[in-house]
Amino acid sequence: MISLYFDPGLGAMIIQTIIAAVAGVILFSKNLMHKIKLFLGISKANKDDVFDDIEIKDSDIENNNSSER
Amino acid sequence: MNAKNAHSSSFRDPSGYVFIEDGDIKRVVNPVYFKQYQALKESGFYCELFKNEILIPHKELSNTDKEIIIKAEKIPFVTYPYEWSFNMYKEAALLTLKLQKYSLEHGFSLKDASAFNITFYKGKAIFMDTLSFDFYIDNSPWRAYKQFITHFFGPLLLAHYHGANQLKLLSNFIDGIPVKMLSSMLPFKTKLNPLLYTNIHLLAKLEDKHNEDYKGETKEATLSKKGQLNIIESLYSYIKNLELKEKSEWGNYYNKTNYTDDAFIKKSRIINSWVNTISPKSLIDIGGNDGTFVRKLDRAIETALVCDIDNNAVDFNHKTMKMNKEQYMLPLVLDVLNPSAAIGLNNSERDSFLNRIKAFAPDVTLALAVIHHMSLSGNVPFSQSAKFFGSFSKYLIIEFPKRSDSWVQRLLNNKVDFRDYFEFYNIENFKKCYLEYFNILDEVSIFDSHRVLFLMEKKC
Repeated sequence: MISLYFDPGLGAMIIQTIIAAVAGVILFSKNLMHKIKLFLGISKANKDDVFDDIEIKDSDIENNNSSER
Repeated sequence: MNAKNAHSSSFRDPSGYVFIEDGDIKRVVNPVYFKQYQALKESGFYCELFKNEILIPHKELSNTDKEIIIKAEKIPFVTYPYEWSFNMYKEAALLTLKLQKYSLEHGFSLKDASAFNITFYKGKAIFMDTLSFDFYIDNSPWRAYKQFITHFFGPLLLAHYHGANQLKLLSNFIDGIPVKMLSSMLPFKTKLNPLLYTNIHLLAKLEDKHNEDYKGETKEATLSKKGQLNIIESLYSYIKNLELKEKSEWGNYYNKTNYTDDAFIKKSRIINSWVNTISPKSLIDIGGNDGTFVRKLDRAIETALVCDIDNNAVDFNHKTMKMNKEQYMLPLVLDVLNPSAAIGLNNSERDSFLNRIKAFAPDVTLALAVIHHMSLSGNVPFSQSAKFFGSFSKYLIIEFPKRSDSWVQRLLNNKVDFRDYFEFYNIENFKKCYLEYFNILDEVSIFDSHRVLFLMEKKC
């Protein structure tokens, strides 16, 4: 049992399954809408993007990282 | 735990604590966290985060079986969440989600999602808590989820529906805004949105239910990794599109003053020549709006704090900073008449703005077009504002709008019958009071305006 130093809230843990399910539906429909729009040739022009997307680029990690800082 | 001089905010996490030695920020890693630390190090996870400028880099100083000591790169000025503009707050929220997703993909998970884990450095939001990562246990829900809602999602939603000032609530609700409060403050229509309903309202309902039924039993909940990633991605995409509704009165500030373009350029030129003689490394611009004047400086500054009371101005500064990829700029929301207080345990967990700025000791303070607001709207006597600036400024470049200035006239007219009380507002009194704390090195009237620029140096 991992020791936590704050109370994560029992309700919050249990509810995450429900939230995940709803999130899944939302993402699926967003994806679908995006694909339909692409297909129909209507896509929103990218406004100047101050915020990038969720991916962090994983560069190729060589094996000598412990001493190098 | 032998906390040698532990920092006053570093006491909750048994994995380790932060202490300051010779001006360096060091962190002790306790044995209970050794496994995680080694894994984070050897897998190259830390390295990747350093490379991507997501986590503040550190160097390992010593490694015994009692403790590991690491030294973090020093951040010149730490801003707290209640000092961020809306978009800065948004950036911090997105960073947390981004980091959790990345952690999951590499077998780790964030133990906590506190807004105080993040600050702004070199033009971006950066994560500071090196020990916040734990091993991901398959099919376990995200333990920091609720904290993410109360620290990030909730305040952002409140700001969206009720204005950016809501972000200041975090200075009172130091551990996030309670879910029940969020649920009651958000408008009814948010219950119709499935994402908002599940993440806020349903959460509040369930919190209630479980608080009453608590018999000391722990129910294990399961959530697939894909499920957790779905939550994170849906929140990310929703937050990314969140915007403020309000406009501010400072929007077109530079059109409303009584400057001709010429006067503006002259002001910039005078300030530039003064700054060039001083050669500062650090600077604070009080009432700096969107950073226009600081950007006009020829000299490269290492760190420039640009503060303003108006969220929209700071947001605009933030946007410009990100588009230009500026590393020296640090935007900040600040009410000069009520800067952030010291809060938390012993009222020293999160330091006051004034203590932080004193420690930062900026070489130059710019106070352009601010003193008339402090004196006339804020009713602050010159002696008090001089004392305020004197407490942290080495060199002070301050602009004094004379009584004849249009803004001053407008503010005086607003006083109606109290107008006579403000007879003190004139340049002679101003100089007299400021001479108590400063020597006046130079004084220049700006051509074609009713404003005078002063270069002052703090008396020893």
